[in-house]
Amino acid sequence: MTTVDIAVPVPARRPAPRESYLNVAHTVKSWALTTDHKRIGILYLVTTILGMALGGVFALVLRTEHLSPGPTIVDAYTYNRLFTMHGITMVWLFMIPSIPTAFGNFLLPIMIGAKDVAFPRLNLLSYYIYLLGSIWVLIALWAGGCDTGWTFYAPYSTHSPSAVVPTVFGIFILGWSTIITGVNFIVTIHTMRAKGLGWFRMPLFVWAMYGVSIIQTLATPVLAISLLVVGIDHWFDWGLFDPARGGDPVLYQHLFWFYSHPAVYIMILPAMGVIIEVVCTFSHKNPASYKAIAYSTLGIAFVGFATWGHHMFVAGISVFDAAAFGVLSMLVAIFSAIKVFTWVLTMRRGSVVVTTPMLYFFAFLFLFVFGGMTGVAVATQSLDVHWHDTYFVVAHFHFIMVGSTMTAWLAALHYWFPKITGRMYPERLGYVGATLVFSGFFMTFFPQFLLGNAGMPRRYYDYAPRFQPLHVVSTVGAWILGAAMIWTLTYLLVALFRGERAPANPWDSRSYEWLTPSPPPKHNFVREPVFTRDPYDYTVPAEEVHA
Amino acid sequence: MREPTPRALLLTLVALLVLAGVSLAFRFAHLGDFGFAVALGIAAIKAVLVGLVFMEITVEKPTVRFAFAACLSLFALMIALLVADIVTRSPPPLGTPPGTEARYKG
Amino acid sequence: MPEHVAGHFEDMEKQAHAARFGMWVFLGTEILFFSGLFALYIGYRVEHPRGFDVGVEHNTLVYGSVNTAVLLVSSYFVALGVHELRLGRNRLSAWLVGITILLGLAFLGIKTAEYLHHFSEGIYPGGSGRFFEEHRDPGLKMFFTLYFCMTGLHAIHVLVGCGVLAFLLYKVATRSIGAWAPHPLAIGAIYWHLIDVIWIFLWPLFYLVTGRVR
Repeated sequence: MTTVDIAVPVPARRPAPRESYLNVAHTVKSWALTTDHKRIGILYLVTTILGMALGGVFALVLRTEHLSPGPTIVDAYTYNRLFTMHGITMVWLFMIPSIPTAFGNFLLPIMIGAKDVAFPRLNLLSYYIYLLGSIWVLIALWAGGCDTGWTFYAPYSTHSPSAVVPTVFGIFILGWSTIITGVNFIVTIHTMRAKGLGWFRMPLFVWAMYGVSIIQTLATPVLAISLLVVGIDHWFDWGLFDPARGGDPVLYQHLFWFYSHPAVYIMILPAMGVIIEVVCTFSHKNPASYKAIAYSTLGIAFVGFATWGHHMFVAGISVFDAAAFGVLSMLVAIFSAIKVFTWVLTMRRGSVVVTTPMLYFFAFLFLFVFGGMTGVAVATQSLDVHWHDTYFVVAHFHFIMVGSTMTAWLAALHYWFPKITGRMYPERLGYVGATLVFSGFFMTFFPQFLLGNAGMPRRYYDYAPRFQPLHVVSTVGAWILGAAMIWTLTYLLVALFRGERAPANPWDSRSYEWLTPSPPPKHNFVREPVFTRDPYDYTVPAEEVHA
Repeated sequence: MREPTPRALLLTLVALLVLAGVSLAFRFAHLGDFGFAVALGIAAIKAVLVGLVFMEITVEKPTVRFAFAACLSLFALMIALLVADIVTRSPPPLGTPPGTEARYKG
Repeated sequence: MPEHVAGHFEDMEKQAHAARFGMWVFLGTEILFFSGLFALYIGYRVEHPRGFDVGVEHNTLVYGSVNTAVLLVSSYFVALGVHELRLGRNRLSAWLVGITILLGLAFLGIKTAEYLHHFSEGIYPGGSGRFFEEHRDPGLKMFFTLYFCMTGLHAIHVLVGCGVLAFLLYKVATRSIGAWAPHPLAIGAIYWHLIDVIWIFLWPLFYLVTGRVR
């Protein structure tokens, strides 16, 4: 029988742990030149949060602009640059790195019983490349930003008066960080698992990291060439997509979306990896089917590459090609459905504890199903003819990116907060935060489905007065969401310094990262780890962990 | 297969240069569309020789070879669906706009 | 300082395997990087068959073919260099790698001369130049723009490859790597071979393949 428990036992005060990766050295140099995957994970965490904040500010300004038709607080050119830079900052400075570089870096070696990743110096290099790319995007912003939309479609991207070249160059640099991280993770998972840790014994979060690394390693080079081509065309005017010189703008879209569709799977797979960990721990149960999760991860990774044309249904591709992409897009949805059923079935006969991460899971479940189903809807060619380039599509992808990925990121932040920092976050404030995030999000984006269905086009500065009420609701929701994020990040920051000291395993989880103290020592484990049971075996009690 | 001997390396170079010579000769044979298949086929053979002998891909574990094969498959997928688009397009209902005839090869 | 086993690997063999695995995955990413341009070439060839045929016929076959031979020979030398390093013959290996670098630089020299030749004929990327005033086919313009793009990007990779090999040459010459740890040179050589393979495909596409029957 499934039991549900709201009360969370408060851990007794514990003395500060002895040596850990955090206190082993305090100098700036020890952080700036670290090759410790845990410290690199923290560097990424802080920087990606800053990226999110910047993208969030752009979003709040552009939502405020939409409070009324016509000019409200900015002009049209600025509005175009706002939504472009919002997309670019959110996708490349936050969403894509968020879970893999912060939590993946921190947890992956621990979860497989390794001392570090395969190439620790390359790992540090990937961070500095990410930082350099981010700074370059900021430089582009200072130069006025780009106004082409994050998709840089030809021919406008060739002729736009905005700062196209610095923007694409910044993203080009960021891409190499993603590729290096992907290569590092793939080689690590293949070659550095502890003795006896077979592929089907690893925590499922590792499978998610593996799947995302495959996608990001293989897809990002195509982004690099797409951006290079935009840059060349803008700087040198070589007319690679100019029909007068033999070009075809639709081919640009083929190249761009060949990367950008797998990119959305880069954004969702890590979130799904977090979710299965959270569900198992807080249901005190093993997954309904380990292999279903593992194989569906690979299914998304591979089939996801074959669906890019569904972004181009009305761009001028042939009916045959559109049909092919439509069918393939339906196929990839099956894997997500398998995961949704597995997560839900995992809770059955478990003893569910409703902590903040679990609240975020409930939000995720609802919003991901909503977002996924509307994804299948827009993948239906005949329907997409009406919804393409309207707010319907905008709502769909925000339900996935914010409602699902960012929600899972927040779950991860809370779930692994004790492991990373050695402290507990305040649970009640977490409940409030999760409720605010969900409410703010839903209020912002649900009206956008209605707006899009009623015909409101996306990326439009002005709109017909009949759309105003829904826009106002959406904007108010955005401000609530913004406040919720500030609320959450604030109490987490305070908890960093004043939270209850955390035990090694505050959640009584069986996953392997909880077999080491909170926070972990520099080399991850006090003794060489030998994993004698699988990571979701709740039939045995959790081991005692000695610092 | 163990790492190649200097003799194997030299023989491979000779084979590569001979194949290059052959495709150069075919350049003047004016085979029309068949020439594509010949030239790219020879190029593929050369690439395989470089991969097998010089790059010693056979010495690598199966995982590595699978990973590399996955990359090549993705490339093939990109080409296949992109070209499928172009060759199956039909002109717009109101007629082909001037200057865009090239796009409607279907 | 001689190559040693890094702290997180069990032994040199595992470290070598990880390094080679990483390099092959990286090569995959390089192929996908070029894929976009190859896709554009193929797509535009389907859209402009005649323009591309004329372009191939107008291209500088001698330069391109000599360069093909240069790269093939350079691959041979670096492969031999890896073989010699495995046997501990660092000095010989260093010479062989040095010859490879020289051949790479020769490739770049020939390429530069070739580009200058194109410019002198009035063929510039982006369809500008007097050649395109005489030959107005848009497909022809796209052919040469792609030619400059793809061979230019390839040439940049040749330059980077020369740099990588130069760095490895230093390591070979100073006995930083050797028979006990030859894999750094092996993975540098694999990178060089990939650059060769890319040219193996660029050469027929830009210099050999014309669909016309006379």
